[in-house]
Amino acid sequence: MNKLDNIIDESGDKYKYGFTTDIEADSAPKGLNEDIIRLISTKKGEPEWLLDFRLKAFEFWQGMKEPTWAKLKYDKIDYQDLCYYSAPKQKVRPQSLDEVDPELIKTYEKLGIPLKEQEALAGVVAVDAVFDSVSVATTYRAKLAEQGVIFCSISEAVKEHPELVRQYLGSVVPYTDNFFACLNSAVFTDGSFVYIPKGIRCPMELSTYFRINAQNTGQFERTLIIADDDSYVSYLEGCTAPQRDENQLHAAIVEIVVLKNAEVKYSTVQNWYPGDKDGKGGVYNFVTKRAACRGENSKVSWTQVETGSAVTWKYPSCVLQGDNSVGEFYSVAITNNHQQADTGTKMIHIGKNTSSKIISKGISAGFSNQTYRGLVRVAPGARNARNYSQCDSLLIGSNCGSHTVPYIENRNKTAVLEHEATTSKISDEQLFYCQQRGIGEEDAVSLIVNGFCKEVMQHLPMEFAIEAAKLINISLEGSVG
Amino acid sequence: MAGLVENISLIGDEIPWLKALRRKGEEAFLKSGVPGAKTEAWKYLKPKELATDDYVFSCGGCSQKVKQEIPFSCYRICFENGRFCPEGSFFPEEIEVLPLIEAILTKSSEIQFWLKQICDLNKFPFAALNQKYLNEGVYIHLPQGFVLDKPLVLDVHTSCEDKNLFSNLHNVVVLDKSSKAEVVEYYHYDGELKSHYFNNVVNQIFVGKGANLKHIKFQNEAFKASHIAFSHVLVDEKGLYDSFCLQRGADLARNESRVILRQQEAECVVNAAYKIDGWAKVDTTTDVEHLAVATKSHQLVKGVIGGQAKGIFQGKIHIAQDCVATEGNQLHKALLLSDEAEVDVKPELEIFADDVKCSHGAASGELDEEQLFYMRSRGIGYEEARQLLISAYFEEVFALLDNQDISNWLKSFL
Repeated sequence: MNKLDNIIDESGDKYKYGFTTDIEADSAPKGLNEDIIRLISTKKGEPEWLLDFRLKAFEFWQGMKEPTWAKLKYDKIDYQDLCYYSAPKQKVRPQSLDEVDPELIKTYEKLGIPLKEQEALAGVVAVDAVFDSVSVATTYRAKLAEQGVIFCSISEAVKEHPELVRQYLGSVVPYTDNFFACLNSAVFTDGSFVYIPKGIRCPMELSTYFRINAQNTGQFERTLIIADDDSYVSYLEGCTAPQRDENQLHAAIVEIVVLKNAEVKYSTVQNWYPGDKDGKGGVYNFVTKRAACRGENSKVSWTQVETGSAVTWKYPSCVLQGDNSVGEFYSVAITNNHQQADTGTKMIHIGKNTSSKIISKGISAGFSNQTYRGLVRVAPGARNARNYSQCDSLLIGSNCGSHTVPYIENRNKTAVLEHEATTSKISDEQLFYCQQRGIGEEDAVSLIVNGFCKEVMQHLPMEFAIEAAKLINISLEGSVG
Repeated sequence: MAGLVENISLIGDEIPWLKALRRKGEEAFLKSGVPGAKTEAWKYLKPKELATDDYVFSCGGCSQKVKQEIPFSCYRICFENGRFCPEGSFFPEEIEVLPLIEAILTKSSEIQFWLKQICDLNKFPFAALNQKYLNEGVYIHLPQGFVLDKPLVLDVHTSCEDKNLFSNLHNVVVLDKSSKAEVVEYYHYDGELKSHYFNNVVNQIFVGKGANLKHIKFQNEAFKASHIAFSHVLVDEKGLYDSFCLQRGADLARNESRVILRQQEAECVVNAAYKIDGWAKVDTTTDVEHLAVATKSHQLVKGVIGGQAKGIFQGKIHIAQDCVATEGNQLHKALLLSDEAEVDVKPELEIFADDVKCSHGAASGELDEEQLFYMRSRGIGYEEARQLLISAYFEEVFALLDNQDISNWLKSFL
């Protein structure tokens, strides 16, 4: 508990990561129109085909309506009142970490994941740190390049590997997919690009830390991961955002292409600013994440720990096209105060002998509302498809809500599908047992919640698991007693 | 008549409250129209064919009634081609049974009280359509403490061959405090009926304090027929609504139950089974609302789907804020027998209270090859082994019916 208290004291608030960095941002004027899109494209020195892609998406987006089916209530977003481009001012790209703006380095140090330390960790994790919308420092590229692994920002990839980007960009999430994905396709500014060549097992875990910084800047990341035949990669994504009163919009896309015998493990810890205890402020998080298992025996695994954001709308999905491909989804979502989360997954079985597993744990406290929304679809040709879904919810307090909306569509008789869900509260017996042994109420709740989430947490890489366990405790503070 | 909405003059149009009620229904139906894939609650059934067909209201009343044997002792209320048949109907004197329109004319204030308790029809297009043509149906009222000794069968029979009949029944069943009854709804047809008739049924059921209603429904409509039913059930303190619906026929069918446990310790059971083949699309939709403390609900639905049929289950358990000590569980299982069969399931939980025990489950698969092999290796033929496994599969839900006669009667149709 002491450690936690220190963290709170340091930042002067419960939200450990609530601070802003003073870096002069090079921002485009507010609003969204064709000129802004052209400006983004020009600033980034993009080729004609990418500008076309953006403009087509923008045209399509104008005819779309914001979806209302999710169990979410938020103030209407004025898309013309946002700034769609903001980049830290830098004349020369730094060659090493020493050249990077020290303010920036400090930012990451406050986050508890300093780049310096990463370097000292000697090749365990590579970081493609995203500050606002443009990639600033990418480490360990040389080591990765030895293996032929490409890990860079998507803007660099557009310049250096246009054939790969052109082939795969929008192939998993087309711009026509949904309202937020379409918006992202029109205005995305940066994100990560990963290519793992044939037969390569990526020697380290790849990691990106996202940060929203400049006020009123929506972040539109676009991540593209391609795992070629027989390759393997584990990718970590972590998010923190500084404290703000205005809501910030985040509409990202993550596309993953998994080819024959390849495996991708994608882990996320999301702790964007959730708003204060009265529900003021906080990040709106509308994310489209999808992986396509295109080859035989390919495998993708999503693990997420969602503790942040005022509004979360996120359904990491797997399209199991290749025969024998496997999709997994492990999720812990924690909402407190006035947070709202509508999250889940989609497993689309197309190939033969495909299997998928969904483990979702939801914890609602305070006045928050949480929904698990999932789809399992078995196409007529998906013989011997197998799915197992388990969605458990835990309620803390009498003002929160927890909802489960699974959709199961089976068109093949040989498919075996199972779904189960339970909702309950922390039992008084469990609490009493802990308290009787001298564990305080709040600690007892953390202990029980951590036990409840264990099945998911054990799928996180070690570095993440520690941070995630801490986050769960911070998120639930003040929810009991 | 083209389509479903026609201005026909109905008895009682001169009664202002009834006219207003009918108009409200018409407005709600015109607003939503026949729902399609874009309407969440109907996305799997997509009853678009109902929007195009031509229907007629009447085809000759109940003159040529062929009385079908029901193999257990019961009281009976008969409908033929959408019209009430006094000839075939018999029931004890202690309970009040009146054709709906007669109840409207003679017991205006009482029936008005019940009819007005239906939920907002904007989300229930066919119930709204039913209200537009509010006329046929039956009003059943059990007085306080009365226990009905035999099941009461609502025998709804269709024999109209040459035209596409639209029949629109609206039943009101009221059980006063501590009364007890078993009501069986039976929908069937005559011989080789090929017409696309459409039965649109609404039941309004009121289970009073400590009352107990067993509601069994058997839908065995003709293979080209459409059947859409909506039961709106209100359960008071310590009341029990125990229902079971078997769907066997029809080309397009939906049985929707909305059970509102509005007072403490109210309880409901909403079980169902369906066995379908051909091109049938059969939907079982439930919505159980726990609005009071210590309420309980249980649901078990089992389906067997063959041919190119499509089975649908949409179940929802809603627990309102502060409704503590509630229990809700729901389980749907489906067995697919053919390559073209399809099942779509959406079991939903919506929970706003913390001290609850709620669970739902859904599973689907095919007949176990090993079980089939086991039986065949002991000399049981393939077809017989399959039948045995299917009946064993249904046994789980039939075993919950405590009236053995009714259970055996229903099983004989599988």
